Amino acid sequence: MGIKHEQSLTTSKKGTSALAVTKGRPRAVRNLIPKHRKTWFPRKRYDESTNLKEGTCRKTWFPRGQMKIQQMAFMIVAVFFFFALVGLFFLNIQLKDIKGGSAQLQKEQAISSLKVIADMPELNYDSSETMTVDEDKIRVMSGNFSADYDLFWPVASIGIYKIYPAFNAVKKCPASNCNFYEIYDNGQTNVKTYSTYVSICKKVKELGSIYDKCEVGKLVVGVNINE
Amino acid sequence: MNKKAQQEMVGFVLIVVLVMVGMMVFLVISLRDAPEERGSLQVGYVLDAIMKHTTECAVIYEPDYDNFEDLFKSCYKNDKCSNLGVSACDYLNKTLREVVGDMMDTEATVSSYQVNFFSKDDTGQQGILTFYEGNCTGVMSAAQRSIISGSESLIIQMKICGLTN
Repeated sequence: MGIKHEQSLTTSKKGTSALAVTKGRPRAVRNLIPKHRKTWFPRKRYDESTNLKEGTCRKTWFPRGQMKIQQMAFMIVAVFFFFALVGLFFLNIQLKDIKGGSAQLQKEQAISSLKVIADMPELNYDSSETMTVDEDKIRVMSGNFSADYDLFWPVASIGIYKIYPAFNAVKKCPASNCNFYEIYDNGQTNVKTYSTYVSICKKVKELGSIYDKCEVGKLVVGVNINE
Repeated sequence: MNKKAQQEMVGFVLIVVLVMVGMMVFLVISLRDAPEERGSLQVGYVLDAIMKHTTECAVIYEPDYDNFEDLFKSCYKNDKCSNLGVSACDYLNKTLREVVGDMMDTEATVSSYQVNFFSKDDTGQQGILTFYEGNCTGVMSAAQRSIISGSESLIIQMKICGLTN
């Protein structure tokens, strides 16, 4: 139908070729379009400049189509950036969680290392019990043995506090009512300390009977910091 | 601005709003899924050390003193500390608070702690002793130990808030 409009138009006017190749809407065509129609419906037109035969059509490249493609391209880029930002946001949250998990694992590994030290035969009270140190052994070990055990202990310092009953001042053993056993200290100052709770047990004779008396203690281990 | 452009803008805004709502839902779910309490090795060691601590309560004779593990059982059986003349539960309540309090005093970062002692059977749980100190402001770490007393299972649960190394 549109083609018919154009063809009728080309025959009705002089210099029809100019009309056919003119870009945009020709005024004559605009007059033919009913007033209630806002857009020029036919998008195919006859072009004399090409070798197309009369009556054949080809698609023309309108700026409006370009606009549409441009709009779509901008939209795609905007959506891409939007989702990229959202992805970065969630990635950040996930990484934070991973960092927290890593710190927690590192801490648990350090505490597990404390278990290894507490369960060494040099300190352990009963081989069937873990995290239980022998008070008699640690009393002996807290003597001047630091230099002899310099290559033995894989850490910078080892100390054991008696926690209960509470104390106001640290009193180093051996002494009466002491509360701190310093087992090893290599003298380094740049150390990070890790601690965990252990039981400090010893054999006690009372009213003719021997029993195991255990108290709550805290094992504190210093680890070298490599900078 | 023509009507079509307005429609497209409305469509775009609608998509953005939908994505934002989706993000919020995801965020809320992921935050809710984050564990409020996590099983802690360190709290487990605290409980182990407490359990082995020898008390001054001898139920049968001196010097057969109960450690806390035995004292929990004695309390459950409503026994008495024969040497002290008090019920095992009263002694447990008093001493456990002192020991845990002294332990937590050595931790600078602990803001609160809670100890629950309850029995568990087929019918459910029955609380025996609970105490709570402080106000939790950090991550709660928890551990529990189970003691078998006859046919019953006694659970000692500990929650510590802000425990670090």
